[in-house]
Amino acid sequence: MQTIEIDVANRSGLHARPAATFVKKAASFRSDIRVENLTRTTKPASAKSLLGVLGCGVEQGHRIRVTAEGEDEEAAIEALRVLAEGGFGEATQA
Amino acid sequence: MGRRIVGTPGASGVAIGPVWRHDAARAGEPTRPSGATQGAAVSGDPASDLRTAAEEAARQLESLAGHIRDLGRAEEAGIFEAQALMATDPELLDEAVSLVEAGMEPAFAVENAAAAASAVLAALPDELLAARAADVRDVGARIARILRGQAVALPEAPSIAIADDLPPSIAAEIPPGLLLGVALEGGSVTAHAVILARGLGIPAIVGARGLLGAAESASTAVVDGATGEVVLDPDATEMAEFAARAAALVESRRAAAALRGRPCATADGERVTLLANIGGPQDAGRALEVGAEGVGLFRTEFLFMKRQTAPSEAEQVAAYRAVFEAFGPDRPVVVRLADIGGDKALPFLDLPAEANPFLGVRAIRLAAHGSRELLLTQLRAIWRAAGLAGVTPHVMAAMVSTLADAREFLALRDEARAAVATTAATAEDPLPDHMVAGVMVEVPSAAILAPELARVVDFFSIGTNDLTQYTLAADRGNPALADLQDGLHPAVLRLIRGVVAGADEAGIPVAVCGELGGDPVGALVLVGLGVDELSADAGSLDEVRAALAGVTRAELGDLAMRALAATDAETVRAMARDLLARSSPPAAR
Repeated sequence: MQTIEIDVANRSGLHARPAATFVKKAASFRSDIRVENLTRTTKPASAKSLLGVLGCGVEQGHRIRVTAEGEDEEAAIEALRVLAEGGFGEATQA
Repeated sequence: MGRRIVGTPGASGVAIGPVWRHDAARAGEPTRPSGATQGAAVSGDPASDLRTAAEEAARQLESLAGHIRDLGRAEEAGIFEAQALMATDPELLDEAVSLVEAGMEPAFAVENAAAAASAVLAALPDELLAARAADVRDVGARIARILRGQAVALPEAPSIAIADDLPPSIAAEIPPGLLLGVALEGGSVTAHAVILARGLGIPAIVGARGLLGAAESASTAVVDGATGEVVLDPDATEMAEFAARAAALVESRRAAAALRGRPCATADGERVTLLANIGGPQDAGRALEVGAEGVGLFRTEFLFMKRQTAPSEAEQVAAYRAVFEAFGPDRPVVVRLADIGGDKALPFLDLPAEANPFLGVRAIRLAAHGSRELLLTQLRAIWRAAGLAGVTPHVMAAMVSTLADAREFLALRDEARAAVATTAATAEDPLPDHMVAGVMVEVPSAAILAPELARVVDFFSIGTNDLTQYTLAADRGNPALADLQDGLHPAVLRLIRGVVAGADEAGIPVAVCGELGGDPVGALVLVGLGVDELSADAGSLDEVRAALAGVTRAELGDLAMRALAATDAETVRAMARDLLARSSPPAAR
């Protein structure tokens, strides 16, 4: 099992397009991937479900934990880390 | 030869395209009972039917997204892309399948699962997710339609919409990129669909008798919004004729669009401020693109419609802030306080039904009839949003008919600011020093009281649609009284002259935010009467700017004098058309 914690810096948090980008990336791996909002203490949701990710209510400045379990767990976590660093495809700004 | 039907011009433009016929009486009726919907409902396994239908919905939404993206509407396309992901969302489908396994009919199950997912999003303390909640329900409805074998109630390709009327509930659901033109058998020139068409810059005609029946078997149509003509199944000659008209229109629009970078002014340099009317944050991009100097009318009703509870202050702050930030500090945005009540009954407004809703409790009148808090909440949200966006807020109240109404509005403004400044949660946020407060002049009593009103408010904005219907006592929704709904009637123009005189004396500006300001002919008369600012739907601004650039201040003053002396609207319209036709094209000056 691989885990990473990410501080979400992009302006709209994990809403709309950033959430969709995140879900599409997660869905490209075989591993079971879960995401939870540590700031808002939500239950872990499937990272492959847009509704699940939106339901975590992740806003700018929130911290999330992503957990992957399966044959490609390392690659999955690495890919999601790179995606987060790039602001989930959205410009980061204060 | 095709079948030619002539209606009343609603919005100019020429369109050629497939017919999409909306028959209100038949909407929702199952029209594809068998395998036409990719065999969604034929496998005999309900859970598998459900997944197949969901995949079909996702395909439809992806294709819609691609199409809208090609039209350059990236933001809207993003919504459909998200919906495509929702359609095959594992959480949504697992929930729906478990309901099916418990014995529920698949279409009903997916609607229920979507409603549950939507409720989860709506319950989050985040206003932006409210819109996503509606998107999920919409996806559920789409999958259910496929399962039931119902015809999709929306056009699947860019089309000309032909209907008796296109009510807001239907028009708002059609992605703008799928509408090439609108032709209505009923409706009036102030119908919602016509206003929508002007905003999109597409043609619209109304009152085309016999159109709906004639269009039943038609596959193609051409529409000329300037002449009011529709031709169903045109032949080659007719196609060529309308294609030539469309090309000429493109050329004249190109010339008008070339003026966008320049300030709007008459040929001899008299400046007129040109503003856009918008109905929400989604209209900001188009308004800026056509060179609007700001917003003269930001309709806020979209926040209040189609819901069970009033929008929260936080939700409103987000919506106003998005608009304020889009236009920035140099392009003022005039927010109109919610013009609700009366004919727009809302579940959270506890108002009795009225015999004459247009003469009833609506807009600023709500303050004295149990909904003061609703207006205060809106004003608090505007103060906060303006502070966060770093702009000076401009706000106006609708349906003002007395001095007391105006004073009540100013009291609400001050009370809202004091509340924001002293509430712990918001006291630290930036807060503007003042709010520019104006009133709409749309009730004859307000026009008559203009000299007195001008001394207490900061600006006037004339709503010509309502001012016309109240002055001539003709319901603007009644097509039989269409000839009494022209704002160029001298009775209305004489009231406007008095409003301008009262405003000039007090040194406050006068804007017009009604349909008349977006009509090039109307704009000439209004500027001639001394109106300082015109606000219209984005699609009208190029034409208005070009019309004003071709005439001088003296010509407009002369036109206004002759218009005031006339006794009917047709005469005024003919005079103004004549001046427009004689004016030099802007490029020649």
